[in-house]
Amino acid sequence: MRVRFEAQLEQLNVELMEMGALCEQVIGKTYEALMKADREAARDIIKKDVLIDQTERDIENLCLKLLLQQQPVAKDLRQVSAALKMITDMERIGDQASDIAEIITTSNLPVPSKEVPIGEMAKATMKMVTASVDAYVKKDLEIARKVVSFDDVVDDLFVKIREKLLEMLTKDRSVGAYVMDLFMIAKYYERIGDHAANIAEWVEFSITGTHKGVK
Amino acid sequence: MKNKILKNLTISVMVSILLTFLLMIFLLYEESHSQMEDVVRTEAGYVKLAIEESGGNYLGKAVANVSPSRLTFIDEDGTVLYDSAEATGNMENHLERPEVIQALEKGSGKDTRLSATLGDETYYYAVRMKDGKILRVARTTDSVLVMVKDCIVPLALIFFFVIALAMFLTKRQTNHLVEPLNSLDLENPLENDIYEELSPILTRLNQQNKQIARQMEAIQEKQEEYEAITENMQDGLVVTDQSVILSINKKALELFHITKEECIRKNILTLSRNHALRQCLELALKGESNDRMLELDGRIYQILGNPVRVEGEIRGAVIFLLDVTEKMQAEKIRREFTANVSHELKTPLMSISGYAELMMNHLAKPENMDEFAGRIYQEANRLSTLVGDIIKLSKLEEQDHQMPVEEGVDLKSLGEDVICQLHSKAEEREVQMLLEGESTSIRGNIQVLRELLYNLLENAIKYNVQGGKVTLSIQQQKQEAQIMVEDTGIGIPAAEKERIFERFYRIDKSRSKEIEGTGLGLSIVKHSVALHHGTIDLESIVGRGTRIKVTLPVK
Repeated sequence: MRVRFEAQLEQLNVELMEMGALCEQVIGKTYEALMKADREAARDIIKKDVLIDQTERDIENLCLKLLLQQQPVAKDLRQVSAALKMITDMERIGDQASDIAEIITTSNLPVPSKEVPIGEMAKATMKMVTASVDAYVKKDLEIARKVVSFDDVVDDLFVKIREKLLEMLTKDRSVGAYVMDLFMIAKYYERIGDHAANIAEWVEFSITGTHKGVK
Repeated sequence: MKNKILKNLTISVMVSILLTFLLMIFLLYEESHSQMEDVVRTEAGYVKLAIEESGGNYLGKAVANVSPSRLTFIDEDGTVLYDSAEATGNMENHLERPEVIQALEKGSGKDTRLSATLGDETYYYAVRMKDGKILRVARTTDSVLVMVKDCIVPLALIFFFVIALAMFLTKRQTNHLVEPLNSLDLENPLENDIYEELSPILTRLNQQNKQIARQMEAIQEKQEEYEAITENMQDGLVVTDQSVILSINKKALELFHITKEECIRKNILTLSRNHALRQCLELALKGESNDRMLELDGRIYQILGNPVRVEGEIRGAVIFLLDVTEKMQAEKIRREFTANVSHELKTPLMSISGYAELMMNHLAKPENMDEFAGRIYQEANRLSTLVGDIIKLSKLEEQDHQMPVEEGVDLKSLGEDVICQLHSKAEEREVQMLLEGESTSIRGNIQVLRELLYNLLENAIKYNVQGGKVTLSIQQQKQEAQIMVEDTGIGIPAAEKERIFERFYRIDKSRSKEIEGTGLGLSIVKHSVALHHGTIDLESIVGRGTRIKVTLPVK
């Protein structure tokens, strides 16, 4: 019984890692699509998001099956429940990446100007997502905590971009649509950063048994 | 074993004790019963005799008090005439009783009957008198069950005592038997000296021990061999089954910044979530050898994935990671070089063919013919210099280690020769040339060294200012010869210092047409120096001049 359970837990672990890898791919692609105004990459992201949604449902099923059939306790229960929470965040990352891709394709967004540090922000969130998946794969508390604190950097960048865009808009009203699009994209990135931080928090929970603010 | 012996022995002791008790009880009962029967029969004989002698009056209260037996006197028709235990009035007819029937038929009869409660058992004995009446004597004793019941407490006590004793003894015995088995030295089976019956097993064990030791050693050796090979490899190596890492070498661990504990026996995803790597593995697991490129930490790796087949079935994959950064760079340089060469060759060729075409179609005026011919000649010259330079360069590249060398090449006299050769060029630009230093001999190829000096000095003249100065100084310091070429020319910007040794690289593209040259000069210098295992130093200030110092080993 235990052997089967272990195998199922390992399967959950592998599927989660795969979903993490998908998220990384997707967010990496948004950077390319955004910075090179690559429509093809953007369309690819939207396709990949479907795959992420499918994986989420698969993992969810597996988790419920584990809960029902094996009734795990202690650390195993933490692992399963953390997985259930993590996939929600991962799925949101996929959704938001696909939202970014949609903005790029529908409004034919040009390569953003160097003045707006949106590329920097994209890179920072990419780093966060990679690190949060890394933290899960390596079950590394230190990486997880770093991800959580790195969220401030992304938040700061968002504020910076907002000011910059506002400045652009006050100078020249004709760039309104462009500014709005970039602002939305920046907001999505900011949200992706939050989700990555959430994943890191759940990693921390699955290792230590304590979640942020709850003792 | 100990427990089993103890259990078996205890059970057998218990069973035998129980059986013994039961048998004994039965025998004792049988014995006492037959004794009692004898007594009853004798008594019946006496009473019969007494009645026959003294008539029916013999039977009375007195007899009942004397005898422990019950006496019954029955008439021929079954009516009870006398009974020592009960009043005769209420007693039923006894003609149906088995012992009475027997006595009527054969003269005597007997029967044993259990009481209603089964607790007692009565033995009846009947005899027929001469007058046909029946005398019956009966005695009641405890039945077997009652006997067993009475004995059960002492018996149980004895039983448990014996069992305890038996167990204690058995335990001791077993310990005694088993102890040598427990203290067997399994490492050296033949050195044990206990039961003879064990010796075949021990011999076999000894053989197997030896075999295992040999096999372990062989496996160990193989493992060490494999590790020695893989750990010292400069390429990363990962061996997997369907998706779990079975083996990974040091280099691969370094590449992915992971420790062995973190990834061995785990899914490949723990190693890297890189898409290219996973695709490579997937294809390999489908039985397709494939390769692709992977970028890690700014270096380029080629990943080779190969399936591992055991008996025709794909059991896993082997993944190699080769660092191809330098190769890719070299390839890039080669591509650029080829592109440059064709471009450089095409430019003079285009002018030549252009002028020639004009002449061929009689579009050129006769008075311009000379100028055109001169231009064609110039361009052809340029082409031939270019081709010459390319040939020199490729020779230098090819030669590498097989360059013919001679002893005692005097750099100073070589320098004089070259200065002579460049005299006219220097005069054209009014550049003054000076030679300093002492005679220095080194081991090297005179042709290559001449090219080196020629190119250095030619550049110094070409990129000099009108009326400038070029100084060649040659010095020997211990085991090294120093060639220093100083000019008062236009200088080289700091950012370009690295690039000027590249083939076809010319700093100021716009000036390139004014100053003829192929852009290969310094490349030739670089290769010549490398062939002589020397070094080049370059100092330059834009607008003030350049100093190139070449250091060559004397031997």
